[in-house]
Amino acid sequence: MTQFLLQTIWLVPFYGVVGALVTIPWSAGMVRRTGPRPGAYINLFMTLLSFVHGSIGFIQVWGQPPQQLALEWLHAADLDIALTIEVSPISLGAMELVTCISLLAQIYALGYMEKDWSLARFFGLMGFFEGALAGIALSDSLFLSYGLLEMLTLSTYLLVGFWYAQPLVVTAARDAFLTKRVGDIILLMGLVALSSYGEGLNFSELADWADATPLVPWVAAVLGLSLIAGPTGKCAQFPLNLWLDEAMEGPNPAGILRNSVVVSAGAYVLIKLQPVFTLSPVSADALIVIGTVTAIGASLMAIAQIDIKRTLSHSTSAYLGLVFIAVGLGHVDIALLILFSHAIAKALLFMSAGGIIMTTSGQNITEMGGLWSRMPATATAFVVGSAGLIAVTPFGMFWTMHRWLDGSWTDSWWLLAVLAFANLLSAINLTRVFRLVFLGQPQAKTRRAPEVPWPMAIPMVTLSIVTLLAYTVPQGWQFWLSPTTPLMAQNSLFAQIAMPIELAAGLVGCVIGFSIELRRAWSRPAQISLRFLQDLLAYDFYIEKIYSVTVVAAVSGLSRLSDWVDRYIIDGAVNLVGLATIFSGQGLRYNVSGQFRFYVLTILLGVGLLLMVTVNLPS
Amino acid sequence: MLSALIWLPLLGAIVISCFPSTVSSRTVRSVSLVLAIILLVWTIVLGSQFDLTATDMQFTELLPWLDTIGLNYSLGLDGLSLPLLFLNALLNVVAIAATDPEIPRSRFYYALIFVLNVGVVGAFLAQNLLLFFLFYEIEILPLYFLIAIWGGQKRGYAATKFLIYTAASGVVILAVFLGTVWFTGASSFAYDPGRSQLLPLGTQLLLLSGILLGFGIKTPFIPLHTWLPDAHVEASTPVSVLLAGVLLKLGTYGLLRFGLSMFLDAWAYLAPWLATWAAVGALYGACCAIAQQDMKKVVAYSSIAHMAFVLLATAATTRLSLIAAVAQMVSHGLISALLFLLVGVVYKKTGTRDVQVLRGLLNPERGLPLIGSLMILAAMASAGIPGMVGFIAEFMVFRSSFPIFPIQTLLCMVGTGLTAVYFLLMINRVFFGRLEDPFDKLPQVNWNDRIPALVLVAFILVLGLQPNWLVRWSESESGMLLTRMSMRTPPPVALTAKIEPARLLP
Repeated sequence: MTQFLLQTIWLVPFYGVVGALVTIPWSAGMVRRTGPRPGAYINLFMTLLSFVHGSIGFIQVWGQPPQQLALEWLHAADLDIALTIEVSPISLGAMELVTCISLLAQIYALGYMEKDWSLARFFGLMGFFEGALAGIALSDSLFLSYGLLEMLTLSTYLLVGFWYAQPLVVTAARDAFLTKRVGDIILLMGLVALSSYGEGLNFSELADWADATPLVPWVAAVLGLSLIAGPTGKCAQFPLNLWLDEAMEGPNPAGILRNSVVVSAGAYVLIKLQPVFTLSPVSADALIVIGTVTAIGASLMAIAQIDIKRTLSHSTSAYLGLVFIAVGLGHVDIALLILFSHAIAKALLFMSAGGIIMTTSGQNITEMGGLWSRMPATATAFVVGSAGLIAVTPFGMFWTMHRWLDGSWTDSWWLLAVLAFANLLSAINLTRVFRLVFLGQPQAKTRRAPEVPWPMAIPMVTLSIVTLLAYTVPQGWQFWLSPTTPLMAQNSLFAQIAMPIELAAGLVGCVIGFSIELRRAWSRPAQISLRFLQDLLAYDFYIEKIYSVTVVAAVSGLSRLSDWVDRYIIDGAVNLVGLATIFSGQGLRYNVSGQFRFYVLTILLGVGLLLMVTVNLPS
Repeated sequence: MLSALIWLPLLGAIVISCFPSTVSSRTVRSVSLVLAIILLVWTIVLGSQFDLTATDMQFTELLPWLDTIGLNYSLGLDGLSLPLLFLNALLNVVAIAATDPEIPRSRFYYALIFVLNVGVVGAFLAQNLLLFFLFYEIEILPLYFLIAIWGGQKRGYAATKFLIYTAASGVVILAVFLGTVWFTGASSFAYDPGRSQLLPLGTQLLLLSGILLGFGIKTPFIPLHTWLPDAHVEASTPVSVLLAGVLLKLGTYGLLRFGLSMFLDAWAYLAPWLATWAAVGALYGACCAIAQQDMKKVVAYSSIAHMAFVLLATAATTRLSLIAAVAQMVSHGLISALLFLLVGVVYKKTGTRDVQVLRGLLNPERGLPLIGSLMILAAMASAGIPGMVGFIAEFMVFRSSFPIFPIQTLLCMVGTGLTAVYFLLMINRVFFGRLEDPFDKLPQVNWNDRIPALVLVAFILVLGLQPNWLVRWSESESGMLLTRMSMRTPPPVALTAKIEPARLLP
């Protein structure tokens, strides 16, 4: 039985999709008598099913060598496309993480979305979302992963645009789709190129191909860059980072998934593609640069936000930046561990934030305060989530950083600087948010604040416990994925002082976060320089403005120009010919005088002309 | 077997036009629908009898007709025409089903639709140059009347523009056919690529440029396209469906059948320019589509952009790229037909297609939620989201053209990225947002409006998930096309192929 379940593990991604399809009558409003709830329950059941099935498979596959299943999908001339999945502890583990967080987020949504009229549609979309994510976890082919990443783009569009009657939601959904699509199209270019160069599109085949093929350096570089573009959009990395922040207009339970496992999906594909990046130093460097810029920039942006969801989403970008750095350095195991620790902690933080938003009906943290005693479970969840995220307390991220910096890898000082800085800012930010929301005097919006209802509390507490236990994974992780065996140079100076520095940075951050003066009344600093700095960070380094005067202006200008050319030059010429014909006909008709001799003259002239031409024709 | 596809609709047209005027338009519609379904079933039967491994024309029919001028009634079916034939039969059913049951002058209308069908099917099947030309011309007249009688406000202008353009295209094509027979010294107009390929390059170039001009008007490629947006805007919904779905394919079909196959050397000589033309067309069409305010114009310009991909694939001339060209034709036929259907429903219910005016139509109680959802799906299919037929067709186009024309292919891919931009702009304005005053009492959408769209959606999804059913028909055909002409095999991919970093979009 269990063996059968392992063999049919490829079914797991389909459960969510089937749930979404089966509940269409409820989401489309065709079934009204029962209300939308049965649709939600069916989807929840399907997710539970995929979680259970996945768990059994995971236990079965533990300790076994990876095996691949392939489905011949398309054969046309010299093009053969097989959809390949990999059944290995790592892929099934990733899938378990996806279904687990999806399950918790859906239970959570039962409470959060309780009064929403299109509850069934939301759950259907979540099922679709989960199916695509689980598929990415299993996929072993770049082609399949690309397709599923596009599915994610589509479902992000639909989920962000869930409340489509609100103006901000409309632009947010559009921006999310288009930003990701930019990355996807460039990724598709890379995919098309790889498919014409390479032997096949399976990740393992790509790795072999990358080993064996000496490419022209700049081709390898451009190829690598194009493959990076897709994950850059998915993981909200600079310069495609703004959509995640805007996407916070969507429902929060979807935000839980998006900020934890969806952004990770892009990085997961990146990890799988890592062998291709070794082809060219440029692509590896690009990963490191993108990751560093995002990690530092997004951490700074997060500090200046007053919207609880937006500040957390910028922090997501920052941690994904660290993943990019790790992949760029070739430390894929570490990248995976950061993804894991971050996903769980960030999902928990978003659950807590959702509770706060639902109780206070607001997202502005300067309007909050004193929730600590009123919402103890939510506050605990926030503390635990933060503890899992900052490398101060001995939980997930701490142990991950420990594994990275303990001398197993040849790390350099700049890496330590970036990590310490990111940790410092992250600590400052989370402490700041915690103080504003939970400590201090209750404000108007937080005075009557009951604890969240059971459907939200249960997944929140469950995930808190998981977060507290998650440190075992980075502790016990064998470096399965890394191409080279780790160094184990624990005795170097770096290894000895790196972790203390990282720890100190986090501690300093907490202290700063607790000691800075927090103004609840929104006021701007009097000093010009400080005010400029605050605005710069709060408006995301004006990246949006830069976009609108460059790319957006270019596209809209070009479209207006081509429309003008089309209307007045091309079609104008056509209409001119038409008019000229009509007018010349109109003019010529006055030649018809009715006099016989005029006609004879015309005929004579015409025939004479014809004769001359014929005679002089070179034969 | 094949003749039935030509004579049955003609018979139907005659019978329908002979109905007494007391017959209600609903009855005429039902009769037409039944006939169209019979034709579809017949096409499916043909498909089931079709031998996938054969490389020759199948079901050939040959009747001497006017031997003195070399015109024979010669029909045949191969992997290039079968998918298009099927597309035509399907869209014919869809167009009739989407027609307003109370349409005025219904007998004339349905008779014209069937005459149009005769022209299209005949053109896809004809194996004689002159016969093809006859059918090609037959199809112009009914379409002219369909636009000029049942069209919108500026229908006279649009219909005449269409007529002049297409007639000019016909004249050029006829001239090329005459020239081919003249230069090859053939005794008849029988379709015989073996002969025309032996012509010297200069002659081939001359003839091929005529073919490109003639079929370029029909497809249409820029700058020969301006009849298309006008015709689409003024045509009624079912006519738009047929126009975008089937009639444009006559242009690319002609390019493949009478351009590439007949003048191979010239084609190979011009191919880089054709690919560049395709790239310019794709980008230009996409940019124009972004600027449009009329939903139908957006879809019309998107048609121009997507048909350019067919030119790109045809220019690349590998086995895969020819399969891809056929797949892209079918995919575009299904998707653009769906888009036009949905825009038609929006227009019918709201009375406008202006994206500046329409808002919030997704509203579940008083709006058009199902139509809106299907529109999102159609836009995604057109933008090439995997799981739908648009993606795999475009992927094959790009994958097959990239080794030959890397830069042009990448530019076309930017064009496909822009597809998402214009359709999302349209959807965001029309369907998202708050449903406000003038539109909050929209008439009910009935199943007559929904079922044709749902049928097309089913095809788009099924062929997207199982593309083998789409590509298997043209597999051996494309191979034959290439081996028969001792085609160049796809050159070993140069690893120095140029890759250009793409532009960033918002």
